Amino acid sequence: MTTIAGIGFTAPWLLLGLLALPVLWFLLRAVPPAPKRQPFPAVTLLLGLKDDQSLSDRTPWWLLLLRMAAVAAAILGLAGPVLNPSTEDTAARAPLLVVLDASWAGAADWQQTSAQLAQQLEDAGRAERPVALLRLNAPEPLQFRAASSWQRQLAGLEPLPWQPGEAQLQAATEVLAAAQGAFDTVWFSDGLDYPGRDGLIATLSERGAIEVYEQPAPVLGLRPAAYTTDGIEITALRSRAGPAQQVTVLAQGRDPGGTARTLATLPLRFGDGAVEASAGLSLPAELRARLTRFEIQGQRSAGAVALTDDSLRRREVALVAAQSEDEGLALLSPLHYLRQALEPSAELLEGALPDLLPANPDVIVLADVAQLAPDQEAGVIEWVENGGLLLRFAGPRLAASDTARAGEAPLMPVRLRIGGRSIGGAMSWGEPKTLAPFAEGSPFYGLEVPDEVAVTSQVVAQPDPQLAERVIAELADGTPLVTRKTLGQGQVVLFHVTANAEWSSLPLSGLFVSMLERLAVSSSAAVPSAEDLEGTTWTPVEVLDGFGRSETAGTLPGVKGPDLVAAAAGPELRPGVYSGGRRVLARNVLRPDDALQLARWPATVDVSAYGAPQEQPLGGAFLTLALALLALDVLGTLLVSGLLAPRRAALMLAGALALAAATVPQEARAQQAAAPLPSAAEDARAADLAAELVLAHVLTGDAEVDRIAAAGLRGLSDTLFFRTSVEPAEPAGVDLERDELAFFPLLYWPVTRDQPLPSAAAYAKLNTYLRAGGMILFDTRDADLAGAGASSPAARRLQQIALPLDIPPLEVVPQDHVLTRAFYLLQDFPGRHTRGPVWVEAAPPDAEQAEGIPFRNLNDGVTPVVIGGNDWAAAWAVDGNGRPLLPVGRGYAGERQRELAFRFGVNLVMHVLTGNYKSDQVHVPALLDRLGQ
Amino acid sequence: MTRPAAHPAASALRHRAEAEASALPPLLVQARQLAGAVLMGEHGRRRAGTGDDFWQYRPAQPGDSRRMIDHRRSARGDVQFVREREWQIAQTVHLWVDAGASMRFASGAKLPQKAERARLLGLAAAVLMVQGGERVGLTGGSLPPRRGNVQILRLAEALMDDAAEDYAPPNDRALIPHARALFISDFLGPFDALEQALSKAAARGVRGVLLQVLDPAEEAFPFAGRTLFESIGGAVTHETLKASALQARYLDRLAERRAALERLCHEAGWRFGRHHTGDPAQAALMWLYHALERTAP
Repeated sequence: MTTIAGIGFTAPWLLLGLLALPVLWFLLRAVPPAPKRQPFPAVTLLLGLKDDQSLSDRTPWWLLLLRMAAVAAAILGLAGPVLNPSTEDTAARAPLLVVLDASWAGAADWQQTSAQLAQQLEDAGRAERPVALLRLNAPEPLQFRAASSWQRQLAGLEPLPWQPGEAQLQAATEVLAAAQGAFDTVWFSDGLDYPGRDGLIATLSERGAIEVYEQPAPVLGLRPAAYTTDGIEITALRSRAGPAQQVTVLAQGRDPGGTARTLATLPLRFGDGAVEASAGLSLPAELRARLTRFEIQGQRSAGAVALTDDSLRRREVALVAAQSEDEGLALLSPLHYLRQALEPSAELLEGALPDLLPANPDVIVLADVAQLAPDQEAGVIEWVENGGLLLRFAGPRLAASDTARAGEAPLMPVRLRIGGRSIGGAMSWGEPKTLAPFAEGSPFYGLEVPDEVAVTSQVVAQPDPQLAERVIAELADGTPLVTRKTLGQGQVVLFHVTANAEWSSLPLSGLFVSMLERLAVSSSAAVPSAEDLEGTTWTPVEVLDGFGRSETAGTLPGVKGPDLVAAAAGPELRPGVYSGGRRVLARNVLRPDDALQLARWPATVDVSAYGAPQEQPLGGAFLTLALALLALDVLGTLLVSGLLAPRRAALMLAGALALAAATVPQEARAQQAAAPLPSAAEDARAADLAAELVLAHVLTGDAEVDRIAAAGLRGLSDTLFFRTSVEPAEPAGVDLERDELAFFPLLYWPVTRDQPLPSAAAYAKLNTYLRAGGMILFDTRDADLAGAGASSPAARRLQQIALPLDIPPLEVVPQDHVLTRAFYLLQDFPGRHTRGPVWVEAAPPDAEQAEGIPFRNLNDGVTPVVIGGNDWAAAWAVDGNGRPLLPVGRGYAGERQRELAFRFGVNLVMHVLTGNYKSDQVHVPALLDRLGQ
Repeated sequence: MTRPAAHPAASALRHRAEAEASALPPLLVQARQLAGAVLMGEHGRRRAGTGDDFWQYRPAQPGDSRRMIDHRRSARGDVQFVREREWQIAQTVHLWVDAGASMRFASGAKLPQKAERARLLGLAAAVLMVQGGERVGLTGGSLPPRRGNVQILRLAEALMDDAAEDYAPPNDRALIPHARALFISDFLGPFDALEQALSKAAARGVRGVLLQVLDPAEEAFPFAGRTLFESIGGAVTHETLKASALQARYLDRLAERRAALERLCHEAGWRFGRHHTGDPAQAALMWLYHALERTAP
């Protein structure tokens, strides 16, 4: 690449084309523009006029200049100009080794890393250097290949959620040793130190120069969340002690519906110069149990994620002891030691079993409870079968009872012998027995048995064929101490000793707590130590990738318990959620005592940050410029040859510029507009409806009925307009499925026989509408011919329609209903028919008539529905000129009937709009009386 | 009710005919409006008709026939009066409007074509003449001079004809001796033909008016750059590399042509006027009216 004035050219020889420009100049000058044809009747006068030879027509200088500039831009564009060309010495043709840390620590900046890597590969490709890629945390034999073949693989390259470990570094060293010859190294570091790095640097610098790219921003990490007495403690780390910095930790979890969402946010503040920041988060137990992970906002890396496990989840343990009449000393209480052992790590429920069972605890502890009432027993069996853990302790009562003597009781793991046995007491032979080491396969396997634990009394299991497989702990002499059987999805565990220190010293020892933990009675507050997990194997359920995204573990192999806690993450131990038996443990990238060590480089190594000026090919820009100039040339040529008026040319130029300016932002806007927004038309309609009072009718789908309803409401609206201060706008038809109902105080709903039933969503809308104070006037339009609205087709349809509606009890309008006097005084409510009764919400049963007042003090609200069959819309209906549309009654009586129908309409609207205002008038005498008038 | 389907060819013909005819009424209306405005501009002065209008009463003299006595006037007194009507001899006016292709030119979208303006002026003048009682017709015998409103319709129809050639020579045939003539054209065509026509007319004692209608572009020559000038029909072309350099010489030639026209008119006793399509037609009509009046013998 040749660099001229800071701009490199990939094809510099093309620039020689610029030398041709002067030739072009002469050529263009010699060829004048084509003549324009001008119709001109007076051409006869021109005949014979000769052109002045000294003034031959030439292309104007500015047009020449435009063309020259266009050609020059095209030549420059084709020569492949590149801004900020890498000034790499093209002579260095040594192979290039690209070393990647590619661990979680670089995941947050992976995009820049990829871009930089792509740039490196492009440079190497231009310099024709073979390239090999070495990922330190997943080393593979070096393959020096053309850069272009690596470029294709670049997209699939993702950071891994672990740092290079010893084994990988060993493998990397071997790989390097196997490579022949010298090569230069470009090392993309994540900025974290790890053991063995120095050796690698030494190995690489023997073979050639090392250039290191490293992001200057500190690496952020999250330690596992720790459970403390007053909440959850979250600790974030950073690799570089810089100025004060604030990060936000998101507590992600599932809402009750199971959708993942952010349950809480917690700001963490790194002090000036501090590398650690922590804060406590206190959440209700229910919320805490739903947490799945913590993550640092905006950091896409596995290290910035802290998965949670059982340690945050406090199990609910119900403690049930036998009823004892005596007040009992605290230390002798069968539940005392359990309480002490479980208190720090579990929610304890105490009380009677019938009260506790509905709470559906995780664990029920029965301490020396021999017999359960039959219904309680059935309930407990069902609960165990659904996955509960029943933990029973023996005791004097159990020993004395008949439970599980003859046959196996469902809630006992084994049959018991009568009486039990005492060892090492004053009246017996032998020493108190100690525990035998736990057998492999027992949930307690790996726990260390302290010497001081001794058992003096116990209940003894009957030998049974299944006894051996049900024993999970035994005494030194082989007597079962803890037995277990599964029942449905749950299990029943029996400690053959008491839960207090009466029969053994087990409850006094730490082993007791560990055993409870292993049984998942309690979940340990602290992260289990390696010793705790000795002998267990854990299978991965979910693992994290380098960006901190969870994926199912698939067929990944299990992990040994101690490794899970103590070992560093690697290909064999991926960070994620592991399950072992009934417990779930989270393994995070960072262990609780990990720190982030900043990578230090020897002085000989050249370290540079990302974001060196990127190479920017300018060819496209130059060619665009050439095209634009040529377009201008077209305009100019047209202008010169007079085919275009100057004003129009300017107009076209402005138009073209505006178009070009509008092109780019339009794309962005089009994308934004793709989001579903309420259409402007809908908004406008809503605004119109909300601006004025609008009466509405429900569209039935029967065109004639809808037309009459609309005409009727128009007539009513006109009447209201003329007679009252209610001035409605043009009535609207309402489609229950689509339209918003909230704008209408009154819905007129003519019921037809074959009207479709509204959908569930429409019913929800209608019920909301009714609850919010809306009113629906149902009109069966059949004069209620069948009486009581029972069996006319429309009435039956009405019943079907109204069934899901939230309609209160109804009654026929009483004489003192407010509807009879909201505006006009009315006795009946005729429409086109006169006889039908009208139903409204029933008066409350305690409504009573006050003395001296003609009306009862009726319900406070507006009746949500008015139901009748008088076909009011037909009586109200008017045509476009305000004349009645349909005949009503006969002669003058008919007109009177129409008038009364209108009055009913007016009263109805008044009732909707003013509520019980007229009802309140009954208090006026009393108020005046009180005021002393 | 069913209607018999019209024959397609017949209906097409009718469509074309209506399209052609639709240009006529506007021209007529425009011409009448123009003429009406001139009458208003003359302050209501009415030209007497051919003996219909009252001129004066004079006492009856011997030799007056009895029929000439106006009894209404004479009954007021003892003297007998003769009602004298204005003495008026109807003049004959010959109209020639250039129908050549060179007239179908307008330099701008807002300007009318020269032919349109020429027809308008010619017809308006004809309306005035006919209202004044003159007989108006076309030169060449295609439409002999007659009077009456029907003649105006015929004139309008005849004026709508377009000629194909670029420059139509004036038609000097069938001129009635001692009549008047109105020639409207751009007079950019061959000068000889005009000269010949005018001398022939003068020989017959016909006097009249030449009205040169020009487009503003022809007057100003606003062209520049390499231009190929061509006549409307395309028969005559002239190419120049620098049109702006021609302007002065073109204007000289135009002035020359105009001077020649004026000289010719002077010699033949005609009057010469010019009009640009950019100017209102009203002024030109006014000038025409007076010029025709003055050329009256």
